[in-house]
Amino acid sequence: MSDFMFEVIDVTQSIIDGVLFGSTYALIGIGFTLIFGVMQKLNMSYTAASLAGAYVGLGFFTLLNIAPVLVFSISIIASGFIGFVVYIFCFRFINVDNHLAALMASVGGLFFIDEIIIHATNASPLAFPSLFSDVILELGVFGFRGDLLFVFGTCIVSMMLLWLLLYRSSFGLATRAVSQQAIAAQLCGIDLHRTNAITFVVTGMLGGIAGVMIGAAVGILSPLLTVPFTVKGLIVTVMGGLGSIPGAIIAGFLVGALENVFLFFRGVDERDMYIMVLLFVFLVFRPHGIFSKQANRD
Amino acid sequence: MDYYLGLIQIIGIHALLGWSAYILLLTGQLSLAQVGFFAIGAYVAGILTTMFSFHILPALFFGSVLAGMFALLVGFPALRVRGLMLVVATIAFTQFTSLFFFNVHWQKEINGVMVGPDSTQGFREIRFFAENGWSMLDVTLFIWFFVMVIMAIIWWIDQSRAGAVLRAVGEDELAAQSVGIDLTSTKVAAMTAGGVIAGLSGGLYAHAATYVDHLTFSIILATFAIAYPIIGGINNVFGTLAAVVMIQGCLVEGLRFLGDWRNLFFGVMIIIVMNLKPEGILDSSTSRKIHLLFKKSFSAKQYHSNESK
Repeated sequence: MSDFMFEVIDVTQSIIDGVLFGSTYALIGIGFTLIFGVMQKLNMSYTAASLAGAYVGLGFFTLLNIAPVLVFSISIIASGFIGFVVYIFCFRFINVDNHLAALMASVGGLFFIDEIIIHATNASPLAFPSLFSDVILELGVFGFRGDLLFVFGTCIVSMMLLWLLLYRSSFGLATRAVSQQAIAAQLCGIDLHRTNAITFVVTGMLGGIAGVMIGAAVGILSPLLTVPFTVKGLIVTVMGGLGSIPGAIIAGFLVGALENVFLFFRGVDERDMYIMVLLFVFLVFRPHGIFSKQANRD
Repeated sequence: MDYYLGLIQIIGIHALLGWSAYILLLTGQLSLAQVGFFAIGAYVAGILTTMFSFHILPALFFGSVLAGMFALLVGFPALRVRGLMLVVATIAFTQFTSLFFFNVHWQKEINGVMVGPDSTQGFREIRFFAENGWSMLDVTLFIWFFVMVIMAIIWWIDQSRAGAVLRAVGEDELAAQSVGIDLTSTKVAAMTAGGVIAGLSGGLYAHAATYVDHLTFSIILATFAIAYPIIGGINNVFGTLAAVVMIQGCLVEGLRFLGDWRNLFFGVMIIIVMNLKPEGILDSSTSRKIHLLFKKSFSAKQYHSNESK
């Protein structure tokens, strides 16, 4: 085979890894998008809360040495709880129309959660348990890393569960009603605060899955992960179109794949620069995201 | 003493950065790109004084003009989207600039010392003040001269028709549009003005600190930049300064005895202020109270002077 063919195989391989890893971006993006869709607000502390959930699970793992599956469940529950706390302190008592104050308060939440993590761990990265890390599925010339496949599979399953929750349950109906017309929903007897709180818990749990999957895919947890994953999650949200869940999923895979392509060709120093340029290209040519429905929503 | 002068310098520089976000916030746009412009100002002014032996004034001028030009360029695509989308777009811009300067390597030898930005090693030896024998006090006064000028200009803009236009766009875009205000040009003008102020602030910072690297221009600093006007309130120009003094002076320096724990209080404080005073600490009711307080003491003085006659 020629050198060119090897290059093609290498690029395809990195795209495969990127798409598998991109599922974590998609999960983070869905979290941002869900809260935005329901409340028209951005919850900046979302990624921090997700990773904090994973840290709680990790704490139980180091103290009690429980099975990874239990670690994952504890993380998810913890993250849902943190999501609720964030809602109470950063959103519940701030006027519905005041987007700036809520945004700023959630930034405060981000700093607070991050600092707690830094103090609890002395800012050093900790190893996170992963599943199937020694398995490699070979398909022809391409290999699928077992841990990434596990991450990918879990993300897909949780997306499907989320879909069931949103479109096949009364809570989902309430959420969709609030996201379409909050006042009309209230007139139909839907409790706005309750719906918002449950949305935060659900997205928090989703974030917990994302946090655990980030930990499993990267292999470590570190407070340094918060800002990059927040930024990537926001980029995914914008590319997919604010409020669009399928958009966030596709954009997550896209960012994951392109990130690896840029990494392959330009190295780790320049990788993120091209992602930012890509975001600007999207803002200029498709400002409302991949699947744009509403034309004039901000 | 020098320590306190350094603190006063930081307050001045952060106030400028806060105002650059403030002026855009008047139009209702939240931009985290100010740190990107800050970085451009810092690097350009630094390169001009170190590598091309410029005087500080033209260097600052070119630094802020270039930052303003970038603000204009970024403004057009970025302001196509509003509100929260803009937050993300501007975060991306700040990340991009930071990564760009992370990759810039351009050095030359001046008087036997290699100067200029050295990618990962940062940009060292921006020693204009030291080489020209400026004392710490001179530098502080120099920075605060700009702080006062910019504050006066923004205060004046706030009182003028231009300020009313900016606020009209911020209050209700549709209403502003219907009285004939061009939304895009207003926003882009505010963005450009903010970029110029941020560039100036960056140039001053680079020379006061003598060293900058890509880590200086983080999302955290960008968050601080918008936190000042939001926490201070956009009711008037002094709110931002009050917030800077409160955060940099009282929280960061005053709580130094708490060590690392003070960052924890920073997050808590933002949450508390936003819950209790969602319009900022110097919101319209507080400003009115302060105004009344001054008026009262003034009229009391008048009363006493009348009595003594």
